[in-house]
Amino acid sequence: MIPALEVRNLTTGFKTANGWVTAVKDVGFDVMPGEVVGLVGESGSGKSVTLHSILRLVHAPGIIEGSVKWQGRDLLTMSERELRKVRGGEIAMIFQEPMTALNPVLPVGIQIEENLSAHTALDGRQRAARARELMDLVGIPEAARRLKDYPHQFSGGMRQRVMIAIALASGPKLLLADEPTTALDVTIQDQILKLILDLRDELQMGVVLVTHDLGVVAATCDRMAVMYAGRIVETGTVVNVFAEPHHAYTRGLLGSVPRGGAGRTMLLSIEGTPPGLASIPPGCSFNPRCTFATDICRKETPMLAEFAPGRLVACHHHREVAAAGSPVA
Amino acid sequence: MTIVAANPAVRRRARISLPFTLVFGGVIIGLSTIVAFFPSLFAPYDPAAMDYNALLQAPTVAHPFGTDSFGRDVLTRVIHAYTVDMQIALFATLFPFVFGTIVGALVGYAGGWANALFGRVVDAIITFPFLVLVIAIVAVLGPGLVNMYVAVSVVGWVFYARLVATEVQVQKRLDYADSGRAMGYRPLRIIFRHLLPNAITPALVYWMTDMALAILLGSSLGYLGLGAQPPTAEWGVQIADGKNFMNTAWWISVFPGIAIVITGLGFSLVGDGLAELLRTKK
Amino acid sequence: MNAALSQTLIAAEEVSKEFLIPQGMWRRLTGQPRLAVHALNGVSFQINRGETLGIVGESGCGKSTLARCLVRLFDCDDGRVRFEGQDIADLKGADRRAFNRRVQMIFQDPYSSLNPRMRVREILGEALSVHKMRPRAQIPARIAELLDLVRLPSDAADKFPHEFSGGQRQRIGIARALAVEPDVLVADELVSALDVSVQAQVVNLLLQLQEKLHLTVVFVAHDLRLVRHISHRVAVMYLGKIVEIGPTEGLFSSPRHPYTKALLDAAPELDPTKRNRTVAARGELPSPINLPTGCLFNTRCPRAFDRCFVERPLLSDRTPAHRAACHLTDFGAPSLQNLEAIS
Repeated sequence: MIPALEVRNLTTGFKTANGWVTAVKDVGFDVMPGEVVGLVGESGSGKSVTLHSILRLVHAPGIIEGSVKWQGRDLLTMSERELRKVRGGEIAMIFQEPMTALNPVLPVGIQIEENLSAHTALDGRQRAARARELMDLVGIPEAARRLKDYPHQFSGGMRQRVMIAIALASGPKLLLADEPTTALDVTIQDQILKLILDLRDELQMGVVLVTHDLGVVAATCDRMAVMYAGRIVETGTVVNVFAEPHHAYTRGLLGSVPRGGAGRTMLLSIEGTPPGLASIPPGCSFNPRCTFATDICRKETPMLAEFAPGRLVACHHHREVAAAGSPVA
Repeated sequence: MTIVAANPAVRRRARISLPFTLVFGGVIIGLSTIVAFFPSLFAPYDPAAMDYNALLQAPTVAHPFGTDSFGRDVLTRVIHAYTVDMQIALFATLFPFVFGTIVGALVGYAGGWANALFGRVVDAIITFPFLVLVIAIVAVLGPGLVNMYVAVSVVGWVFYARLVATEVQVQKRLDYADSGRAMGYRPLRIIFRHLLPNAITPALVYWMTDMALAILLGSSLGYLGLGAQPPTAEWGVQIADGKNFMNTAWWISVFPGIAIVITGLGFSLVGDGLAELLRTKK
Repeated sequence: MNAALSQTLIAAEEVSKEFLIPQGMWRRLTGQPRLAVHALNGVSFQINRGETLGIVGESGCGKSTLARCLVRLFDCDDGRVRFEGQDIADLKGADRRAFNRRVQMIFQDPYSSLNPRMRVREILGEALSVHKMRPRAQIPARIAELLDLVRLPSDAADKFPHEFSGGQRQRIGIARALAVEPDVLVADELVSALDVSVQAQVVNLLLQLQEKLHLTVVFVAHDLRLVRHISHRVAVMYLGKIVEIGPTEGLFSSPRHPYTKALLDAAPELDPTKRNRTVAARGELPSPINLPTGCLFNTRCPRAFDRCFVERPLLSDRTPAHRAACHLTDFGAPSLQNLEAIS
């Protein structure tokens, strides 16, 4: 199968008061049609910047390098005009906090129709009908009546559904989801994640899901990429990565999440805190927190390399890490 | 020296770079204060000395700012006016700042009916134009500097109290205030030790602006004959003196005016700089 | 001291708390009834000395309000909280300060729970001196001890809160609470603002400190996995009521309330091979202003029947250790799973 999205050597930098910092460094991954790819990491890992960089949604003076091939065309070099057709059209995006992503002074029906008129050839009446269908599709009760409501009249979960309805208006082939359920309660998160999966099946769209929650990854993603300090440190199918993590950070993350059955025991925590973008240590950026680290880790940055089909890791000692076993297996 | 350098706290404090506006404004206010305390060191003549041979003289080497209608040296009087005007800046604002801050902190913390009552007091006072209210009070008490201080204080504290009360209400909703209460700290400790240091910045910044305004107000009242009384050297009084000679001897009014502008600018810059320096780091 | 007193340290008895909604002049003049958010609707439970009680629920379930009632940041409208048998609403003066010392709260937000203008030394020193924990001369040594206890470097004392990461700030919050040598720690969403890897560090620290200092802990959180990991017993809250309470493993392995079961099903498992595509609970939380009549969960419960819409179920005392407020399990069915197997 040909990947729908091919990200290669994506590097994003920002200018700050203290000079340039690199938020994302040499990131590469593919998304197949209809596949859900999870980008996992903690705050400052660059997962969200990666997602925004795909659609060049990085505020100046940020710079993006590398290539993002969408169905053969490079999103990073195409003109603003062409890109506008892709954004919100073939590729749609949803955010963590729908209240700030929706326009507070427009009824949601108008906001859905706005996207329809930008990306489809439907006339006014067809747009109104389609807007209602979309509200139904994302599971908003009494869709016809609620089209006239404003965003603040919806609950957090319903707002997220509205945002998904707007994103789906153009019939996208790829959905970029930036922590879509982080602000939601667990029963509502469950509803939204399952909605995204149902829509993926129905519409055959690829999904890139950015999250910090490994449980969300386990429940929804086909493949995953773990990010740390701006780089991808490990990728593979979710089943495979959970069963046999090859990077010490992945292993530590898995061990940090409490599981049932081992109550009141010490968790396998990672000492220290994730580094700030301006103070990334030399060599492997994880080395100060890594229990497997040796001299080479402090000097040489490990490259992301394939060690088994579809499994990549950036670690000098990945065999030892794998031998130590998965904390969740 | 090595001991100082070895103490990380001291080193950190030394590294804080002061905002440019604070430094620049601080220099202006510092120099103004020195002049205010020791005017005779800087003034070439006696401020009251009249020279009937040199009436309304344009600026010369002997009288760089010229002379007024009594033949007094304008430069000397501008310098001596620093004493009065800097005093006005401080005394017309110190009581409002201190009293208003305390009232604001208490009212903001108490909330409820205390805050409602305070709101009505504020409404009652701010519906009158400030200057008109002050003039009315001075008119009752009689003209003079002390009465002017009283008049300004009666009205002025309200603005500080309102600023502080609003900020305290924001701060008291934050968890550190609750954590103080959960710790069993007494309300006065929570108000003055915890909330006020975090709530006072706007009032402090306003204080600086208010000092500039106080000089303007003092000068306005002086100009109207309700503040400092002639022959005291005061910028507003000087400008009033010069108003009849605007076309023939502009220097009598213009130089005190420039002094007002520079001093006011100094206070405003210090205010700006303080706001930047005291901004809470997250 | 009798045996019962030494066993139960804190008891909540039918605690209720409502917050009036600010009302416009017009509504007030026309005499319309004041609306209120019913945050707690009759909550009863006991906390035993030395145990960890987890309180879990989604936003709006009243768990944070309950935590604040336990340390008397809020006074309850109805019912009472007893500490060692004494109603805490009656405590005054020195007794109240002693209570405030012995029951400590740690707050959720590491960014707002520390006074930004005080150095760590001042934050800890204040707690020590206000409660006269140590003579003045010994305070610096005690501060060093406390920092060591929560694994912060000793030079942390001279820094301001903004110089620390979120996890380190929560350690400072813990150190401040421990400074006054309390019996009880009430932790409200202690780690929910932290990164996953840092969460684990703070959880480990809490477990170690509890063993070392024989603390009683009330752990309030929305994260089921965390609550399950830390707690001896768990109370599940929904719309200001406890719907189920019991020993951790029993409650998680055989939930007796449909809401508990929905929560468990909704929380994603860390096992990608065990996926479930059915939605755990449909619908959303009803308004806490107009509570449903009957069972509070009846608007979302897949198994609700006639009785659930009329009569509010009580926490059954059929099995004193593990109790649920559900008409279904009340008549003797040992657990929901068994019930499902029967039907």
